Amino acid sequence: MSPELIAALRDETPSAPENLRDRVALIAATPAAPSRTFTFRRALLWAVPATALGALTLAVVVGVITSSTPPSAPTAQPANEQPAAQNRGRPRAALNRVRPRAAQNGLRQFPPPLPAQEYRAIITAAPNGGPAPSRRRAQQVQASLRLLVDDPDDLSAATQRALRTTRRLGGYLVAVDYGTPEATEGSANVRVRVPVSRVQAAIVDFSNLGRILGQQTRITDLQQRLDALTRQLRRAKGDKVRTAILRRERIALNRRAAYATVDLALTTHEPEQKVVPPSRLERAVDDATGVLTAELAIAAYILIVASPFLVLLAAAFAGSRAYRRYADQRLLERT
Amino acid sequence: MGHAFAPNPCQLDVTRSPSVAYTECVSELANVHRSFASAAEDHLDDVYRYLLYVTANPAIAEDLTSETFERAFKRWDRFDVKRGSAQTWLCQLARGAALDHFRAERRRTRREQRVAGPDRAAEVELPEEYGPVLRQALRTLTGAEREVIALRVVLELDTKMAARVLGISPTACTTRLNRALEKLEQKVRPRLVA
Repeated sequence: MSPELIAALRDETPSAPENLRDRVALIAATPAAPSRTFTFRRALLWAVPATALGALTLAVVVGVITSSTPPSAPTAQPANEQPAAQNRGRPRAALNRVRPRAAQNGLRQFPPPLPAQEYRAIITAAPNGGPAPSRRRAQQVQASLRLLVDDPDDLSAATQRALRTTRRLGGYLVAVDYGTPEATEGSANVRVRVPVSRVQAAIVDFSNLGRILGQQTRITDLQQRLDALTRQLRRAKGDKVRTAILRRERIALNRRAAYATVDLALTTHEPEQKVVPPSRLERAVDDATGVLTAELAIAAYILIVASPFLVLLAAAFAGSRAYRRYADQRLLERT
Repeated sequence: MGHAFAPNPCQLDVTRSPSVAYTECVSELANVHRSFASAAEDHLDDVYRYLLYVTANPAIAEDLTSETFERAFKRWDRFDVKRGSAQTWLCQLARGAALDHFRAERRRTRREQRVAGPDRAAEVELPEEYGPVLRQALRTLTGAEREVIALRVVLELDTKMAARVLGISPTACTTRLNRALEKLEQKVRPRLVA
């Protein structure tokens, strides 16, 4: 381009006339108009955090309201009934948190039972072998042991071994209730009597039959009653009938003191534990989280459904802008 | 050309005491008002020249200049110096005003042609004080060619800013400018030589 042409264009272009200057000066002197308070961008800037805050508030309110009602009957239920009964009206996230393994077996698992070896070690390590009966006094000893075995085969073997142990220790079988109603489940209740002096050995041996679920030992002193019977027998010399009655009673007491009763319960399925109801705060947090998750899911669903329309809308907007630009260009080229 | 503009009064620090905040707000409003007046004074000639080239009509250019500054006054709170100079912003507003005028004019012309039949629009007689080169440019070039000359040559905007006003890429802006100047040079070279 020639410099002369450019210089001529710049020199020959006039400035704004005076009347135009006056008009513009008048506009500039006008008091400022109030700025527009509502704009689309400003509304969008407020709408996004306001929506997020509203969703959060709704989740918190729902969580607080639903947590105010205590959970119904927090007792153990059968494994196949528990999810349907307790899941009703509760957010899934809350249930998963309370019962993380609910999806697997519908139950909250026990803490792992004490291994038999460990239990035995505890018994032997305890002073006097734990709640051991006295050797100087006549005592009635009752013990019960609940054990978990793996399967019916294991149940059968454990039962037989318990009976062998009883015989080996000089005891005898009182009663046995063995049953396997299903192919994978079964239970056996064995009541045996073993000499009191060997009851600890029996318990230790029984504890090797499976995982210990529970154990109880009860010792009742019989020495006082035995001493009283002895005194009564001395006084009743001559009275044969009374003497016979007292002797029979003393024999029975001696038998009770000589043998300990051990109830052994063997089972193949773990007992259910009571579900500890979560605190109100936990329930509120769980429910709020559930509501928030649901809100996010709904938002994602809406976004997925609306995305094709949004893309079309954006394309239409871009197309209209391009067409308008093209139309403006053509308009200027024809002018 | 460059001018420092006051910030938006709405962005004032409201954590200060109410009396101080009110005083500052009033002061800032006065600054904003003064800033618009300064910008109008600084860029009035630029806007008028640009519109004169685009419309090729001094009277229409005056009206559109006035309208441009009215729009600018109403939208002054939206002006952001970070996004461009006041000159560029005013030129964008002026271009919008010119396009609106052309659209309205085209609709009016179509209505008149439907009623009274085709008629050639009367050519504008430019005053004698307008130089021969300018008169030739306004007569022979299209509006698109004239506006790129106005922006790049007369107002001396750089390519990026001119392209921004026109809504095209800088390359397209340069191409359009070269073609327009070449076309104009062919027409006015004999006169320049003479």
